[in-house]
Amino acid sequence: RRGLGVAAGPPSTRQLREAEEAAPVFQYAGKAARRKDRVFVWGFSYSGALGVPSFVKPDASWKKPRRIQTTPYRLETEEKISSAACGYGFTLLASTTRDVTKVWGMGLNKDSQLGFQRSRRDQTKCYEYVLEPSPVPLPLDKPQQTRVLQVSCGRAHSLVLTDSEGVFTMGNNSYGQCGRKVVEDEVYSGSHLIHQLKEFDSRVVQVVCGQDHSLFRTKKGTVYACGWGADGQTGLGHYNITSVPTKLHGDIAGVNIIQVSSYGDCCLAVSDEGDVFGWGNSEYLQLASVTESTQVNVPRHLPFKIGKVKEAACGGTGNIVLTEEGNVFVWGYGILGKGPNLTETAVPEMIPPSLFGWSDFNPDIRVAHVRCGLSQFAALTNRGELFVWGKNLRGCLGTGRMEDQYFPWRVTVPGEVVDVACGVDHMVSMVKSFT
Amino acid sequence: LNAAPGRAPRQQIRFLPAPAVHGGRALELVAARVPVLAEHPLVRGPRFRKLKIGAGHRLDVKASGVFVLGVGHGNKLLTDLYNCHLTKVYTVGGLFGKATDDFSDTGKLVEKTTFDHITREKLERILAVIQGTNQKALLMYSNIDMKTQEAYELAVKGLIRPMGKSPPIITAVRCLQFALPEFQLEIHCLHETQQYLRKMVHEIGLELKSSAVCTQVRRIRDGVFTLDDALPRTQWDLQSIREAIRNCQLKVEAELEKTLG
Repeated sequence: RRGLGVAAGPPSTRQLREAEEAAPVFQYAGKAARRKDRVFVWGFSYSGALGVPSFVKPDASWKKPRRIQTTPYRLETEEKISSAACGYGFTLLASTTRDVTKVWGMGLNKDSQLGFQRSRRDQTKCYEYVLEPSPVPLPLDKPQQTRVLQVSCGRAHSLVLTDSEGVFTMGNNSYGQCGRKVVEDEVYSGSHLIHQLKEFDSRVVQVVCGQDHSLFRTKKGTVYACGWGADGQTGLGHYNITSVPTKLHGDIAGVNIIQVSSYGDCCLAVSDEGDVFGWGNSEYLQLASVTESTQVNVPRHLPFKIGKVKEAACGGTGNIVLTEEGNVFVWGYGILGKGPNLTETAVPEMIPPSLFGWSDFNPDIRVAHVRCGLSQFAALTNRGELFVWGKNLRGCLGTGRMEDQYFPWRVTVPGEVVDVACGVDHMVSMVKSFT
Repeated sequence: LNAAPGRAPRQQIRFLPAPAVHGGRALELVAARVPVLAEHPLVRGPRFRKLKIGAGHRLDVKASGVFVLGVGHGNKLLTDLYNCHLTKVYTVGGLFGKATDDFSDTGKLVEKTTFDHITREKLERILAVIQGTNQKALLMYSNIDMKTQEAYELAVKGLIRPMGKSPPIITAVRCLQFALPEFQLEIHCLHETQQYLRKMVHEIGLELKSSAVCTQVRRIRDGVFTLDDALPRTQWDLQSIREAIRNCQLKVEAELEKTLG
């Protein structure tokens, strides 16, 4: 303490330096500071598909319900979500935990696509709209040991893939898309029935839902299909309904398929050698490179000379593939991502990498994954940035604006985007925080 | 400048009375070339008494680097260069572990924090997200209708920029050096101030759950003028200035032609 006879004055340099050294050091990052996993949702909320009840039913009377969430909104989840799928007005979230509750669902439940959600007011009735992520009751043999690997959602049905107990299907079965026999005049609303599928030639590693059909890919590289086939999307050589998963032949017989994709009525498969096979609806020039007909019911090889294909995704009217070099090709009809002038093409067109942030300054930016919604496309780069483009139906692009987006546009997400699931009018993304 | 030989004075044709060629006392008017007296150096005085010098984009007292000046008629080019809205490149040096009130290391200390958990990877991630958000701002403030084909073409080439007033936008960031607690970034930006860059360093520190102060801000490029064109203190003499102006003339004209048409 300074003596009473000493003037105060401005502190000298030495005093400043001593004060600085004596200042306490704060620690903000804990020792176990790990990057957290988060889920962000955006799009149309009135169906409950976003899982935020306050958007539909506000908690105070003066607050107005939020019909559309135009920018990413964080969704609190109890567990780390490893897989998510967006259907037509509903969402399924799954985690790889060994706990009893592994899958949560929210949104439309008029066909029991989210299982039986027991109503709290009347124990016999089921909720038709689920506004919050609610556990989906799966009839597992060993609930404490089985893990859920992947979920997929179609128009009114959903598929859950487990590691040791096969595939569980629920929801609408009027076209046999759940893999069980079609029952006349079956009432799907409030149904407890969840069907289990186990008879495949090897373990199922990927399940994909189209609009009213289901595709299963096994470890051996074969593809099974069931459901509606009027556009040939089951690929079994006929245009009828199939109610039991049947193996596909055609150009993919004997080929080791490493990825299948579908969302509308067209399907694409990628083999381990980088070839693309397609079948189903071709009214929008999706398969016009091999055939003039608008429905293809047998898988056909698409002879594109764009390099080895790593991943493919199908939308309602447009398709997108990602090659090994990291280039993105689009074809089909609609807003394809090359400006307002390109509305339809039968041959894949490349989207310039500079639109994804590639430049002389950042030459090692590559697109890592591509995803499709009904009329939207999404691309994830290796830096964790999410680019979207397409028809902005009810704000599903997440750009903050309501206009359609004609070329890839960055979505500002506070974190590194690991995966994204696109639906008709909403999207869900799994994000890792920065630090 | 005044010592340099100036222009020769203008010549004029005057009809002066002179004695007639072939004798006689009559005076005749004879045309003669005579220098204009008004331009005589003793009448006119020194050619340059003051020079008009205009400054280009502002540079702080604490910052250093390229500073563009316009001399005489060059001041008119300065406004044109400003309207081109070209990016400037800075090297910004930072120091983790401290937070001060004016975001630089000469300010009053506010807080000290730990920084051992910071890695180059985390820093690069934060820089990527800064670039991403600023890229969006770039497209939004450029006031181009996103629905046109021409907007798509410009976006592919990367030429979309705000051509009017806009808040500071960073077009590219990159980490040049990283040695805890110091780091150095290269920032390409538009419409910024040096204090904004210091604030950016502070915010990077906060994002990384620590704190940072800015130690150095150095402009290495201002539109077309780079460090090579700039004259250091030892070369602030007439000869070097004239040479520098001559070297840059072509570049400036080409750039103005390209951007403003």
